[in-house]
Amino acid sequence: MRTLSNMLPTVLCGLAVVLTVGCSSLKNPATTDIAVTNAAVESAVAAGGSQFAPVEMNAARTKLAQARQAFDASDYERAMGLSDQSRADAKLAQGKANAAKARAAADALEDGIQILRNEIKRDKP
Amino acid sequence: MKKMPFKLTLLALALVAAACTTAPTTQLLDRARDEYRAVQESPMAASYAPLEAKQAGDALALANAAAENRESAERIDHLAYIAQQKIALTREAVKQKSAEAEIAQAAKQRDQLLLDQRTAESDLSKRKAQIARNEATDATRNTQLAQQEAADAKRSTQLARNQTAEAKQDVQAAQAEAAGAQRMAQDAQARSALLEAQLSALSAKKTARGIVITLSDVLFGTDLARLNAEGMRSVQKLVALLQDNPQRTVLVEGFTDSTGSAAHNQALSERRAGAVRGALVDLGVGQERVAIRGYGEELPVAANDSAANRQLNRRVEIVLSDDKGTITPR
Repeated sequence: MRTLSNMLPTVLCGLAVVLTVGCSSLKNPATTDIAVTNAAVESAVAAGGSQFAPVEMNAARTKLAQARQAFDASDYERAMGLSDQSRADAKLAQGKANAAKARAAADALEDGIQILRNEIKRDKP
Repeated sequence: MKKMPFKLTLLALALVAAACTTAPTTQLLDRARDEYRAVQESPMAASYAPLEAKQAGDALALANAAAENRESAERIDHLAYIAQQKIALTREAVKQKSAEAEIAQAAKQRDQLLLDQRTAESDLSKRKAQIARNEATDATRNTQLAQQEAADAKRSTQLARNQTAEAKQDVQAAQAEAAGAQRMAQDAQARSALLEAQLSALSAKKTARGIVITLSDVLFGTDLARLNAEGMRSVQKLVALLQDNPQRTVLVEGFTDSTGSAAHNQALSERRAGAVRGALVDLGVGQERVAIRGYGEELPVAANDSAANRQLNRRVEIVLSDDKGTITPR
């Protein structure tokens, strides 16, 4: 017990150092993470995410904003968590937009083929 | 006092053990697991979105690990949420890829259709072209036929015209011939009429030997071989006749009566015939056209029993040849 009580200040000091280092060590990854997420969101917007997947797009934007707030508040772990979720949302939005566009293109093509078939059928004597 | 904390410790240990056997989970994680299982069971995910499926699986593994490590429910839910979004992304990727596969297929179909249509159009236009060609050929053939017919007609017309012309020529020739024949006939008639007239003027006789003109004794002096003036007129008539009929020749035959010697009569008959020839030649008749012959007292035309009969026997007969100049010999 004596030894422990003697060591307590040292242990506390060490813990504080570790925490500080830990916190400061999370700042750079969080910066990177948010930057990557920002790019993902912009890419999703460009792909038409707002039009084809408004729910996911909104979620991604909201979470990105919250991640930035958390970052500004130096809560880097929370910032990274929100950023990761925002990125997942953005990627899903982009995937949905791409899928919807591909489907629309496929449908348009099918319609075109049907029209072509009808025309050919009409042309044939 | 000391027993109670021990019992509580045991209970806590039991709870921990229970928690260990059934790993802690959240509703969100459970749902993510279900969704992931569904994605894994669909064969499309493996072929169309293997990368997304793997990322989803990795994310779910992180969430599972967090649960195993008994991290906070908040942390587990956070990871489960991300896994869920990645699973959903896998589904979207599958949708996108299958739509793209449809597009590729449809594009192929459309190309085939367009090709078919173009082939059909080409066939149609080819058929139309063939029909047009056939029609053109027919038209050409018809034109050729028409031209041939026209040419035939022209030829027929030409032929008919030629035939007509020939017929006309024939007619003209026939007419000319007829005219010629008529003219000749007229000429011959005229000539024979003239001949008749001349012959009758010479009191000619038609005998088996031809036409015979007799110059009687009275035209000569008695026992003389000279023609008197009347005899000369007869000879002139004969000359005119010979000039009108240049193809005819004459044979002059002298005869006497039986008075006097035969030799004298022979000579006299020859002299009289010669006198006639001389008169004819003097008047322009070619010597070669006049033959002479003396018969003396032979071949009398009457008995020498009277003066009149003897006078008949004293004569010169001129035999006129036919148109070819031949005289049937006596």
